Amino acid sequence: MRRANILFFSLLLACALAVGPAAAQDTVKIGILLPLSGPAAPIGVNSLNGHKMAVEEINAGGGIPSLGGAKIELVVADSGGDPKNGLTQAERLITKDNVVSIMGAYQSSVTYPSTQVAEKYEVPYIVPSSYKPEITERGFKYTFRVCLTTDLAGREQIAFMERMGRLSGKPVKTLGLIYENSDWGISSAELWKKYAKDFNLEVVLDESYPSNSTTLDPVVRKLKQAKPDALLFASYTSDAILLAKGIAQQKINPMVYMGTAGGHADPVFIQNVGDASNYYFDLAETSPDIDLPIARETNEKYKKVYGEDMSDDCIKCYTSTYVLAKAIEIAASTDPKDIRRVLANIFMIPGQKGIITPYGIQFDEKGQNIHARGVVIQTLNQKRVVVYPSELALPGATIVWPTPGWDQR
Amino acid sequence: MSAMPPSGKNRWTDPAFYLPVLFISVLLVNPLIIRSTTFTQVSILVLWYACLTASWNLVGGFAGVLPLGHAVFAGIGAYTSTLLFIHAGLSPWIGMLVGGAIAAVVALLIGVPTFKLHGAYYALSSIAFVEVVRIITENTQQIGSLKINGVQGLLVPLRGHAPLYFQFDGKLWYYYIIVALLLIIIYITYRIHRSRMGFYLVAGGEDQEAAESLGINVTRYKLVALSLSAFFTALTGTFYAQLVLYVFPQGIISLNLSFEIAFIAIIGGRGTLLGPVIGALILVPIGEISRIYLSGSQFIGIHLFFYGTIIVLAMLYKPSGMMRSIQTGYDRLVHKLRGASASAQHEGER
Amino acid sequence: MEFFLEILINGVLTGSLYGLTALGLTLVFGVMKIINFAHGTFLMVCMYMTYGLGVGFGLDPYLCIILVVPAAFVLGYLSQVVFVQPVLKAERDVREPVGVLLLTAGLWIAVNNLFLMLFGANFRSLKTPYSDQVFEFGQMLISRPLFYAFVFSLGATAILALFLRHTHMGRAIRVVGQDREAASLMGVDIYRIYRIAFGLGIATLGVAGAIITPMLYVHPFAGDIYDIRAFVIVVLGGLGSVPGALLGGIIIGVIESVASQYLTMSWAAALIYMIFLLVLFVRPQGIFGFEKDS
Repeated sequence: MRRANILFFSLLLACALAVGPAAAQDTVKIGILLPLSGPAAPIGVNSLNGHKMAVEEINAGGGIPSLGGAKIELVVADSGGDPKNGLTQAERLITKDNVVSIMGAYQSSVTYPSTQVAEKYEVPYIVPSSYKPEITERGFKYTFRVCLTTDLAGREQIAFMERMGRLSGKPVKTLGLIYENSDWGISSAELWKKYAKDFNLEVVLDESYPSNSTTLDPVVRKLKQAKPDALLFASYTSDAILLAKGIAQQKINPMVYMGTAGGHADPVFIQNVGDASNYYFDLAETSPDIDLPIARETNEKYKKVYGEDMSDDCIKCYTSTYVLAKAIEIAASTDPKDIRRVLANIFMIPGQKGIITPYGIQFDEKGQNIHARGVVIQTLNQKRVVVYPSELALPGATIVWPTPGWDQR
Repeated sequence: MSAMPPSGKNRWTDPAFYLPVLFISVLLVNPLIIRSTTFTQVSILVLWYACLTASWNLVGGFAGVLPLGHAVFAGIGAYTSTLLFIHAGLSPWIGMLVGGAIAAVVALLIGVPTFKLHGAYYALSSIAFVEVVRIITENTQQIGSLKINGVQGLLVPLRGHAPLYFQFDGKLWYYYIIVALLLIIIYITYRIHRSRMGFYLVAGGEDQEAAESLGINVTRYKLVALSLSAFFTALTGTFYAQLVLYVFPQGIISLNLSFEIAFIAIIGGRGTLLGPVIGALILVPIGEISRIYLSGSQFIGIHLFFYGTIIVLAMLYKPSGMMRSIQTGYDRLVHKLRGASASAQHEGER
Repeated sequence: MEFFLEILINGVLTGSLYGLTALGLTLVFGVMKIINFAHGTFLMVCMYMTYGLGVGFGLDPYLCIILVVPAAFVLGYLSQVVFVQPVLKAERDVREPVGVLLLTAGLWIAVNNLFLMLFGANFRSLKTPYSDQVFEFGQMLISRPLFYAFVFSLGATAILALFLRHTHMGRAIRVVGQDREAASLMGVDIYRIYRIAFGLGIATLGVAGAIITPMLYVHPFAGDIYDIRAFVIVVLGGLGSVPGALLGGIIIGVIESVASQYLTMSWAAALIYMIFLLVLFVRPQGIFGFEKDS
């Protein structure tokens, strides 16, 4: 049997050697680690498209000028959403493909351990879209997060509701928290509870559920009993659909629905739920209709190629690619250490070439983007519209507060 | 193995002895020759799965039961060592043994009622076992003052390069640890196969009633096998925690892992000594290579489609696994080499 | 009180649907003593068929039953011929065959991902005029498609039970389930019976797929969420017992509905598994099963 062992090992070796064609002198390799299989694969593919489009643009525009017009080459690895695969793949990207930086990995459970690999090999790792706060709390020197954290998102949601209540004279007093029971949902709920206390709101329903349920009717019925003024959701797509359908069916009528991107930001949500998706608020980081001309132009271009609007994650991945390209350009080097030094001090503002997030990019000493913040989106007539903050909303966008009753729709 | 090493001074000339030694040496020097971290990392994964499956094989290898609950034991190992490390500062090297002991006890407790069940009932009960434990772990923030963090899982505190705390800066360390673990598990399996216990287990698996009517307490032997199996599975679980430095319920207490183990065993050859190694050598690299080449294409899910198809084809065309054919080839090789040296000796005597 | 009644009714309705999804599983086990891990996959395929007919031809999902059920029967029959039968034959002399478990687990992974490749990972809903409608009884609001699902589940279970009891083929199926050797000696072609039983088992999923589609969504993994629940139900009701599957389903539905009001849904799920393990240890033949099946 050990003969087969040797055979297999040599086969493996052959494959390993065959994988990467010898590195051409004039390319800069960047590793992308994303879930391209498993349940999160559609998001992974979306994110990858964002990276791809940015790279195509950069290369078409002359590559990295300070490196003699070197082209960027993406080396894509699939994590499958599994932490141990994420580790293997990060290791492969760094040691075999010799990438100068990594970007990824969507799921916090993959990002968390794989950033450790990058830290060990001293290769910069840009995190466009993982929310787990701990990722940037370890004092890593090579991890840079572009997006929000669950902590910041939770605070913005509650603050927005409190503020709208004050302005409209129709305040929200009680909250219903409804969240899927994985890391994301649970940690969002913990923070909602913390900030509800800060803003003097009462939590009357605190309900977690498994996202892959056949029915969420029990949750809907609990909701009907508790009658909270505002509902806060942290849901994936299928559960967001079931909940919205159930709420419509039981004609439950809170003042406010507030999602936390995820399923509520998935275009499939509106397609499946139809009119019942109207009046939902959603805290996201950006949106195709944001008042930032470059973002809308990029979205149009993207739509022509891929046939759909850019998702939040796609936009962040696109922007991150430009941030990294800029850092390489300034560093004028492909040494990961030089690139890290530039990243640590970089400052880019929205509207600058490639920066289509509504916030600037500047990392604190832990690697968290200090400008990251959310925007509030409301679905009206089955269309997502940015409504807050007002400087990012298109002229004419108005907030509907509170949600009209089912008989008045 | 059918070709047994003879005792005596001449064993270095006997292929049945020097071939295994040769192969083990290859296993040991491999990562030193092929100095690629990816290669080492994939090898670690292969060996990790081989360890899990070899442990599983102690129970699942004998006909009659299909345990799909081993992910729980791996979880117990990973959680115990990590919790002891976080809360008591105890080195995972010791925590690993504690985890193994706990897993063995749990295996006894769960084994007493479940071994009354057969076939499909046993498989279903072990599935329910994994689901219950996973859901409870996911929904428990702390037990008393012990914070287990529910679904968010536990992070192993980083110590840099600290061999005493099972943390290393190089992959080679992990490689040799998992090689050692695999050799130990295989050696134990080998001893059991050749002992009276192994005989009883096989007999009991084939026809428990008949075996018991002969006065063999089959259930007792099964329980011993299960707790040994759980013990080693837990050690493997600790290894996972130290490699990934992050434990969370869905990562380890998952039905997926349980099924993966069963698949590897089937492909390699259930109940054979080295089947788990063969199975892992086939399935894990297939998974890794197809992940590299097929993912990111237009067709998401394509590599799992292949994975599933391989299982189906294996069940249809090679239900007893690859081990049997490989064994035949190996025996033939030994025979040939032995024949060559024997005829050389004959020449000398004349 | 009214609220509690609503919860209870809802549990019974949902539970009957669970029972229907478990029906085919228990039938196949009763005859062949195997568990089909790809059960949820077949359900998913039936859901896609219903969705396709609904979107492509504008057929009402309940009308689709007429087409989906025979298609599902053929699918099951062929799967038995191509996949299950060879493995069963190879394991003929093994007392506790588990090869089929692994075979069907492989099919489960392969076919789910095949559908993922073909149709993508997006969730799709089939919109019908009654999808979001309710029946109002005073304060109580009962979902219409769920109520229809209840009616169809009872109907399908009754038809299957009557078929097994009163037709020649039905009796042959039961005889094979009770004593394979005797049936074989009596000249019954047991593999033919297996093929028909497997086809029938999948055909029940044709009904389930059609009635689930208007309430849930269609997705390559949509069958999985019914899968493990169906395993629990068949053991609870007694593997092989047709009315047991329905009652087992209703018990699970009620436990889930009521327990979720006092605990979270996750704990309700854990409770279901614990009850399952308890039943398994105390009365492995299930609540309505027979001693010899264990």
